[in-house]
Amino acid sequence: MMLKLDEVHVHYGLSHVIQGVQIEARPGEVVGIFGRNGVGKTTLLKTIAGWVTPSGGAIQLDGKRLDGLPPDQVCRHGVGFVPEDRRIFPGLSVEENLRLGLMQRAGRSRAEQQAEIDRIYERMPRLAERRRQVATTMSGGEQQMLAMARVMVGRPQLVLIDEPSEGLAPMIVADVFAIISEMKAAGAIVLLVEQNVHGALDVADRFYVLERGTVIVRGDAKSETDRAKLIKAIAV
Amino acid sequence: MAPFLDYIQFVLAPQMITGLSLGVAVVLVALGLTIIFGLLDVINMAHGEFYAMGAYLALALGAAGVNFWLLLVLVPLIMVPIGYVVERGLIQRVFNSPDRHVTTLLLTFGLGLVVEEGLKIVFGPNTQRPPTPISGAVEVLGVLLPNYRLFLIVVGVAIVAAVALVVNKTRYGAIVRAAAYDRNMAASLGVPVSRVFALTFAFGVALAALAGVLLAPIYSVFPTMGRDFIFLAFTVVIVGGMGSIMGAVIAGLVITQIQALASLIVSPVWGDPIVFSVMVLVLVMRPQGLFGRLGHA
Repeated sequence: MMLKLDEVHVHYGLSHVIQGVQIEARPGEVVGIFGRNGVGKTTLLKTIAGWVTPSGGAIQLDGKRLDGLPPDQVCRHGVGFVPEDRRIFPGLSVEENLRLGLMQRAGRSRAEQQAEIDRIYERMPRLAERRRQVATTMSGGEQQMLAMARVMVGRPQLVLIDEPSEGLAPMIVADVFAIISEMKAAGAIVLLVEQNVHGALDVADRFYVLERGTVIVRGDAKSETDRAKLIKAIAV
Repeated sequence: MAPFLDYIQFVLAPQMITGLSLGVAVVLVALGLTIIFGLLDVINMAHGEFYAMGAYLALALGAAGVNFWLLLVLVPLIMVPIGYVVERGLIQRVFNSPDRHVTTLLLTFGLGLVVEEGLKIVFGPNTQRPPTPISGAVEVLGVLLPNYRLFLIVVGVAIVAAVALVVNKTRYGAIVRAAAYDRNMAASLGVPVSRVFALTFAFGVALAALAGVLLAPIYSVFPTMGRDFIFLAFTVVIVGGMGSIMGAVIAGLVITQIQALASLIVSPVWGDPIVFSVMVLVLVMRPQGLFGRLGHA
């Protein structure tokens, strides 16, 4: 099973936002996507998730084409998306938000579904305490946890995470990155867009740097020389 | 003191009870309208004609010998696939166009005209009145209330309560609320959004048709019957907050009371201008309506 982006292009009207991006990732790998603001990182994740239709190229997961599919079908191919600003449903309770995530995989028994929910509550007791509460009354950190939990109950093969640490206290950021490590340990591919490059490099295996819609640097997150190239590329 | 009590018993109470039965009827029509708007963000101008279709179906099937109580189940069930096909076949096609509001408004407006003319051709232009399924009357607070109107109030309350329960307390309701708030995010969690949209539209259409079956014995059946209620129903939906079930219920009951009580002070012909002035005032002072939209906190 592998994620492969081949010459992906995206146009927003006349502007050419993603220009022939090539990315590969394997199970159990966290891949950081870095770059300055407005270089197309979020668009790239949205394109994989099916929110944006690419104007060219191919996106394959496990040999199956995802490009051009609507988001619900992309999801059914095992793709979980934790977007920027979390997108928690304000009219739903914490548990209702969480249970929506169970729709990612149909055909599981009630007992299996409950086991997934229990597993999340055990890992994130704060969510269990607040299960009946309207989700948007929680703190930003708790909402981020919920957004990640909502994807985790579906046990996706590929997780797309956009700016998870944005606006969160350092303690919670550490917890967010710990959960990303757990996703990796469970064998998922994680594509992580982060402004907090140092935090992200601690969990990432490899990284790509985008500049004006194309990959300008790629490297190994643990290699000092590659890290130096990365810092040079994104230094303002 | 006695004249005052007489005024309450013989003037005020009958007006209020008549207003209440009209209010329940309007809420029934507005319910489907507000759910469709709340979820799909589509202003369904054909809603009144789906209501008329329900009434005509009841009339035709009733004439063929189908029992009224069976019609209450059968007619909405017949309308579900019709609503589903309209959503998938027509609305979905223009749904992603840049000016969705205008396109879907015109599309459903046109569809409404087609249905109305179709009803005229098939059933003729004349007014028809199905027999009242429950006869007799009871005295409520000293007011003589036809049994059927009482039944309508009870059934109306039960339908509204059932719909509110489904939307707010069930798993399907949570899916609908989530899709109403953020269709992309809901889809990315595996919600088959376009199917949910079509089913919910069909559900709204079935509700309109059910209202048609229930109200036909009181308000009669004629090809343009949809228009009479739809203006009032739109007012209720706008005042209550487009997409709010609670808002539709409260606005529906309050507006019909205003209309009923106003007729005690001014000539009844002022009823409509007063009601629509309330709508204009709400649009100016609080354009989002009195209550929040479906799926929004």
